Parts: sequence; C-alpha cells; structure tokens
Amino acid sequence: MWHTTDGAIARRDLGSPRHLVSWIARVLLIAAFFFALLWLVSIYSGALRNPRYLDGWVLAVGMSLQLGFHIAIKTNRLSPKSVARWRKFHIFIGWLLITAFITHSDFSLPDTGFELALWAGFVLVTFSGVFGTYLTWSLQAKGRIDEHVNFDCLHTRISEMARDVRKIVATPDAIASVGLPIPPYDVWIADLYTNHLEKFFDRPRNVRAHLVGSQRPLKRITNEIDNLSYYVDAQCKEKLAAIRNLAVEKDRLDFARVHYALSKGWLFVHVPITYALIVLSVLHVLVVYSFSSGA
Amino acid sequence: MWRWLSPTDRQAAAGFWRDRLAWLLALSTIVCIAAAFVVSNGRQFLMPGPLTSAHGAIKNCVACHTAGGSSKLTWIHGLVASNALADSKACLTCHKMPTTAFFPHGASAGALIESTKRLSKIATRTPAPLSARLQTAAFPPRDVVARGLFCSTCHREHRGGGASLKKLSNEQCRSCHVLQFNSFDRDHPQFESYPFKRRTRIIYDHKAHFDKHFPEVAKKNPAKNIPATCSTCHNSSANKRIMGVASFEQTCSGCHLNQIMGKERASGPKGIAFLTLPGLDLQTLKKKNVAIGEWPDASEAELTPFMKVIISRNENGRRLIEAVGGLNLQDLSNASDNQITAVKDLAWEIKRLFYGLITGKSSDILGNLNVNGTKLSANLVADLTASIPHDVVLSAQQQWLPNLAREITIGPITAEQRPGTNAQEQSGSTEARLEKPSADEVHQEPPALAQQTEDGKATNKVKRDPPSCLMRVLGQCLLESGSDEKVQAAEPKVNDNERAAAASEKKSSAVNLRPPMQAGLKDARKVAERAENKPADQSDDLLSPTAEELREINARNKQRGELTGAPPGLHGKSQTTTSAPHTSDASITSDVDPETWAEYGGWYRQDYAIFYRPTDHKDRFIYSWLLLTGPEAPKGDKSPPAQVFDTLAGKDAQGSCTKCHSVDDGSGKGRLVNFSPLSLENKNGRFTKFIHEPHFSTVGTRGCLTCHSLEKDRPYLKSYEQGNPQNFVSGFGAVKKEVCQSCHKTHAARQDCSTCHKYHVNDVITPISNTKIPMR
Repeated sequence: MWHTTDGAIARRDLGSPRHLVSWIARVLLIAAFFFALLWLVSIYSGALRNPRYLDGWVLAVGMSLQLGFHIAIKTNRLSPKSVARWRKFHIFIGWLLITAFITHSDFSLPDTGFELALWAGFVLVTFSGVFGTYLTWSLQAKGRIDEHVNFDCLHTRISEMARDVRKIVATPDAIASVGLPIPPYDVWIADLYTNHLEKFFDRPRNVRAHLVGSQRPLKRITNEIDNLSYYVDAQCKEKLAAIRNLAVEKDRLDFARVHYALSKGWLFVHVPITYALIVLSVLHVLVVYSFSSGA
Repeated sequence: MWRWLSPTDRQAAAGFWRDRLAWLLALSTIVCIAAAFVVSNGRQFLMPGPLTSAHGAIKNCVACHTAGGSSKLTWIHGLVASNALADSKACLTCHKMPTTAFFPHGASAGALIESTKRLSKIATRTPAPLSARLQTAAFPPRDVVARGLFCSTCHREHRGGGASLKKLSNEQCRSCHVLQFNSFDRDHPQFESYPFKRRTRIIYDHKAHFDKHFPEVAKKNPAKNIPATCSTCHNSSANKRIMGVASFEQTCSGCHLNQIMGKERASGPKGIAFLTLPGLDLQTLKKKNVAIGEWPDASEAELTPFMKVIISRNENGRRLIEAVGGLNLQDLSNASDNQITAVKDLAWEIKRLFYGLITGKSSDILGNLNVNGTKLSANLVADLTASIPHDVVLSAQQQWLPNLAREITIGPITAEQRPGTNAQEQSGSTEARLEKPSADEVHQEPPALAQQTEDGKATNKVKRDPPSCLMRVLGQCLLESGSDEKVQAAEPKVNDNERAAAASEKKSSAVNLRPPMQAGLKDARKVAERAENKPADQSDDLLSPTAEELREINARNKQRGELTGAPPGLHGKSQTTTSAPHTSDASITSDVDPETWAEYGGWYRQDYAIFYRPTDHKDRFIYSWLLLTGPEAPKGDKSPPAQVFDTLAGKDAQGSCTKCHSVDDGSGKGRLVNFSPLSLENKNGRFTKFIHEPHFSTVGTRGCLTCHSLEKDRPYLKSYEQGNPQNFVSGFGAVKKEVCQSCHKTHAARQDCSTCHKYHVNDVITPISNTKIPMR
C-alpha cells in the first residue's frame, strides 16, 4: 500500500505477506492450469483426436464465462460485493484463457486473413484486459488516490490549487521597519513560481509519467522547492512548505485523473472488440464444423 | 434486460457510449465478413492455414471437403452433411490404396486379428506405462477406431506448406495397440523371429554349403568359382530392402546345371515321358473281342500323367480317366466289362489324340485343357509342349500306329485288314491321308542298311517304316518298302543298269558306313535278336522292327504284290526284305541312344514314349506344367493334374526343380512351387520396413553376421519335408533387439516408431494419369 506523509513523496511498498501469498498462489494456479492443459492436449492428440477441438472448447467455455460476467454487470444482477468478487474471477479466467489460446493457436502466428482477424481480436481483448488489470492493481498498490476524489471534481480542485499557490506566492513577507535592505526571498519564490510552478498548476500535467507511475516530474519540482528553502528565512520556508504540499496534492490529482481516464478508456477497447470477437468466434465454430470431415 | 441509461446520468454516459461502440463494431465485423465473402475469390479466406506443398495445386475446397459444395455459402451444408468417409475417399482419388484402406494399417481383418492375438500374449508380460494407461482411460481410442480410421484422423492439413503430413508421434501410434510402451530402447518387446516370417523360397542350406559343399568343390576343382563373400550372391542395390540373390547363372550353375540337365542322373530316364502308347493287355482284349484296332503288344509304357491331363480336357475324357484310374492296363484279366469298355475307349481316345496332334496344331488340342477352367493361350501351349516338333509325333505314329489314319476314318482294322497299301490308302478318304512322301522322297536313295550277315536273322529284325516309307528319320524317308520295285514302277525311265548299280551301291554303301555306325548296325541286329526273344528288353528301336512288325511288313508287301501284280520277285524280294532286311537301303543306326543324343535337352523318342529332356535352368516346359497344375494339385490328391505335379516335383524328378525351389501347400488350394525370387511385392502387408544400405557402414568386420548369425545344428532342411511355409527353422538366428539397440537408443540414432514400422502396410501409390492420346 502506498502511504502519504505530509508533503513527502509516497514510496512503493512490497505489500503485505498475505497479498504476496495470494499473488503467488494465483500465478502457480495459472501455471498449473497451463501445463495441465498442455498435457491434456498432448494425450488427446495421442489418442488420435484433433487437440484443437479440446483447447478450442476450453477457450469457448471460458469466453462464455467472461461474456456472462459482462452481461451480469450490464444487467445489474450482482451486488457490489459480488461484482468485486466476480471481477477477480473474471481476471483469473482471463489469465487461463491466455494459456488456452496459446495452445489453441498451436504456438504459431496466423496464416490467413480470417485467422488473423480472430487472433488480433483475442490479442487486443487480452492486452486491454491485462492493462485494465494492471491499472486496478496499480491503483490499489499505490493508493495515491483519495477516496473522495472523483473524476468530475478533479478539474475544479486543480483550479483551486492553482489559485492557492498564486495567492501564497503573491503574499509579501512582513519586513522590519528599520531601513535594512529587503532580502530577495519573495523574488526567488516568485521566480520559482514563474519558472516551474505556474505551468504545473495551470492544468493537469505529466500524463506520460503518471502512466508509468513515475514521480520524477514531481521530484524535480519538490527538489527545486527544497533547494530554495535552504536559502530563505523561516517565513518563506513556511510559504515554500505550503507550496510544496500543494504541488504534491496537485500531482496526486494529476495521477488520479490519468488513471481515471485510463480506467474508463481501456474498456472502450476491451468491450467493443470482445463483441467483434464473439461474432468472429461464432463464424469460426461454424466453419470448423462444416469442414471438419468428422474429426 | 439492458437498462437504458438516462442521458443525464453522467456516470453511465461512458458505459452507454462504450456499448454503442461495441454494437457498432460487432455490426461492422459482420458487414466486413459479408464483404469478404462477396469480394473474395472462392472460400480461401476461410482457410485455417495454407495447404502443404504437395497439395498446393488444389484450389477448390470441395476436392477434399466433399460436402462443402462449390459456391461461397454452400459450405454451411457441411454442418449437417459432413461425411468423413466420403472425404477420405476423395484422398484415394490420387493416393491409391486397396479396399482395406480404412482398416487400421490398411491391413486385412485377418492380419489384424492375428497380429492382435500375438501381441496380446506379449502384452501380458509387458505392462503398459502409466502415461499410456492414463491416455487410454481419459480418451479411449476405441471410440475413434469404431467410427473408422479416416485419413484426417492422422493426416492434418492446413498447417502450412512446410508441414509434414506424415509426421506422427509415438503416442499416436501406440494408442490403438494392445502392447504399449514408451520407447524402443526401454520397453519394446524382444524380436521373436524377425525377419523370418516363413521359410525361404529357395532351399539353400548355407551352413552345409559353407562347411561341406564349397570345401569339397574347392578341393576337387580348385579352378571352380566358390563364393568368397556374402555379397557374391547377395546385393540390396535393386530395391534397398531385400538382399536379392544373384541369378542362377551367376551363382549356382557351376555346380547344379548338370543336375538339372540330368547329366549326373544315376538311374531312371533323363527325360520326362510326355506322350506314350501305353501297354495294354491285348490278350484279354482279344479274348473279349474288344475292337481297339492295331496296337503294339510290345509296349510296356505307362499312360503318362500328361496324357491323362490332356485326355481329361473334356467331360468324357475325365470320366474315361476316372474309369481306368485304378486299372493295370497291362493286366485286365480281372477287369469288369465296363472297365474293358473304358479301356477300349481309352485306346481310341489315345489314337484320336495322336491323330489330332498330327493333323492339327497342338494348340487345337491343348488350348482346351481344362485344368483350371480357363482356355490356354497359344504362348502357354507352346511352353507346355516345348514346341514339340510335328515330326516327332508323326514319326512316333508311323512307328507305333501306322494305320492310324485309316482307323480314324474307317474304323478299327483287324489283323487281316492290316496291309494298308498305297493303293488302298489312295483309294481311301483323303481325310485319312497322312503325310505322304513326295515324289522326290520316293526316288531318294536311302542309305544302306546294316550289312547282311550270314545268318540273316538279325537283319530280319530290322524295323521298317510303313509301306509307303519303310524308314523315315527326322522326316526323311530313308527306306521304302520294296524300294527297288517302286523305283522301277515310278521311274520306268531308270534302266536296269542304273537300277542294278543303285542296288549294288546300296549294298555296298553299308560297307562304306563309318565304323561306329557299322557297330551300331551290329548292335541293332543284336538288339533285334534280343527283342525277338525278349520283347520287353527291346530298346533303341528306331531302326529295328520287331518280329511282329516284320511279319506285318511282309504281309503288306505280299498284299501289295497281289494288288499291283508286281512280279513274283517283288514278293520274294519283299519277304526277303522282311526276313532279311535291306542292308543297302536301311536307316542309319547309331551308337548314341536317343536319350544321350538329347543330352542338351529337347524331344526324343524311345521305346513307346516321347520324352522331353530339360534344356536348362528355367526350363519353360517344366515351369509351365508346374504352374498350371499346382493349384489343382493338393497334396495327396490323385487327379491327373496332381499326378503331373508329383511327377515333376518329386524328389528324383527330372530337372530337379524342387531340389532348390520349395513347394508350398496352399491349404486345400493346391500347391505352389516357389520359382520367383523374393521381391518387394512379397513384403506387402508387412508392418516393418528396413533398408540395408545405411547399416553397411556400421557392421564392422563381422559384416552381415553381425545381425544375421549363422546357427549351428539347425534342422533347416527338415522345414521342407512338409508344405507349410510358416512351419520352419531358419538356418540363421533371428535379429536380436540388442543389436539394433546398440545404435537406436536415446540420444543416439532415432528410435521413433516410424523408423522401423510403416502404417500403410500395402503402400500407397499414385497411379499415372490416363492421358488420352491426341489423335485426329
């Protein structure tokens, strides 16, 4: 789980032992299924049968289960708790179907147009599904998105933050009345804002960095702030600390925005292509059995 | 089912658009597929993969998927009408296989049952491995086999041009078998008698030859070629699998040719009696007034099996042969009336046979041989008769049955009617006319007979030819009955001086004969003397008539003299001729008996038989008769074909064919002499395959003996004392699995099933296409 401290950049944690065990068990189960399927295909083939029918029907049954989950979601037949549970099952079946697909395609690439369409459809559905799974995992793992933050209020919140930063930067320090020269701390802060922070707070930024979970852009900004705070007085240090917190918060919002967008976007690939894949799969079954020669 | 989202529900807006996009994409997919159907050429875009290179020329799916129809959408019909058998038969369009193509291995049901029984016994000793048992439990192959083993069961297409249609895994091979194991070097059962499935077709005791015969021959005749290596006689270059044997001429003729030709034959005739005039009990027949016409009483020949076969060519003949089957023709004293009648019919049948052979072609008689119900071709008849010269039969007839022509046309003649003069013959039916001597032959100066001796008795025994020509040898008339008088009658221009000169010349010509011929003449006289006393001892009768024949000749001459009004001298001279045979115009006699004369094979006549002596290895006469009669000659059978077969295939038969060519019983279907060498066709139906050549470099110094060990004290020859070829003892030990395993094992030479076993045991051939010759 990701933990946030005041202004501190969250660090990735390896996770709890229970989570790790669960993850390892899933991997082993998938591997076991894969090798079991390979063995079944092998002995099926040895028994003078065409193994493509075996792994093909495994694939078909699995895809039907996946489609069933989608229908259940669409028809709201599941409670939220069941949805979460079925989603996990859906993801698990997806991993198994990858192994079934690999054996069904006989570890080779497609040769003909129709095969290519089928292959491409399944691969796109698979990749989008894997991506979606990754997103879900990363959201959980990083925990950098607050629960009350939702996609719709992100823009409003970012605007508010920009305003707060400008206000902080614009507020001059209280200076002594004795005719001493004014230290240039505000100028420095103004320069920092102008050079680094204005653009950052202007709108959502660092989409690519957030896609890969990188915090380097944020680190650059916070380093700049930290470096400057060595040279300013206490009052400016407080200002810089406030600005720093706002920058971290703003980065978290940017991260949330990217992930919210992706979370919605990957389904625009996964679901429509699944529909196309179903059409192609039905045609594939018809063609196979029409030309099967009784095999 | 689907809850329509409210446009104002922002949370569901994304889902709404996503669903719309999904339906749109699905619809687009359908449209694209429809467009592909419309636009594409054929249905190739539906293929799951390219065809293999060998099938690359096939463009139409229906060539193999017979239920698919030819249009773009008719393939859907295959959902309900797909027929694996019909599709597999489409494969047979190009890949010809026998009718058992869809049986496992393409083998016959009998072969499969036998093989299964044999392997089941071994399987009880060899438990199946766990993987095999699991496979069988999970996916019983019986279900697949019960549906039928179609081509697509094992041969999977549409895997690309470079894919191999023949590739099969060991697990696929073993799935059907009662005996299952994992690999050759581990659990493959021991070889039982591989590669021997039956005894060798050629009887050749290797051990005896190596240990006894070759050393003896080498000692006796060091110049003779004795095989030094196995490859002197054996070579696999012709067909790679079989170690073919070199020809007889290259290998065996040096020692065995004389045996075939009969030169080393110690006893018995060297020739095969083909046609005979069998001896009959004329006394009994005469007593019972059976009219068989003329028949020499000196004959003691047996009715040959060949004649029995020939006579049995029709229903009547078969009945006749059956009727006389158990009779001793030379002692009919106890024969019933029916049997006597049968003997009479037989005698006439023999006469008709000779008559037919003389007046017609041999194919006229033998073409209708009903041995196996088929008409024989002219070529086969020629082989069966070894192109017997017409004159051999003719001269035999003239010697044995001089009045045959008359008897056939008019009927049996009695002893009184015996003359058969020229005038009578000329006045007789032309149909009865046999070959008459031409005018030139009449005027030919016959060579001198044996010189007249003091007693003259011997010359009385000189055999003469029938009236028109007393002595005919090889078609040439050497002596005529009353030749001097005939010359006078036919050539009145010949004056007495010339006649006298001719006569004296004839007389003296005998003296001018070379000594061996004169000796032969003397022998002929002695033979004639013996014949007079002991007719049974008569031999070399080509030139010497018997006493009875002499009497007949004299009677004819007398009759002729009475008819033609020849001067009495003629009779006297005739009688003199018969009592004191012509010495000046007698036939040539020789030291060489006919059998010896034919030492290099061919036809010859001796006593009352016409013999054939084998000419060489692969003698067509013997081969044809054995081939023809074998299927009709089960062991122990006494039918005429079986008798012919036994005559030619017996232990001491002429030609000695079965000394080396084994005879197989056909289990009730006759017998077969194994003339043909082992060929690839013999290997049809075998589950194993083997090529010698790759192994030549691996056998080391022991060579062939590495795999084929020559065993001691094996009763190899005993295998041939019975007719079942599967009941045998080989002179070589079976190939041992350990020998093969020395190379064919894990991480060494390949050991998959298809290395040594083939699935299609009867092979698959692609026949040549029937291209019509483009004619205008």
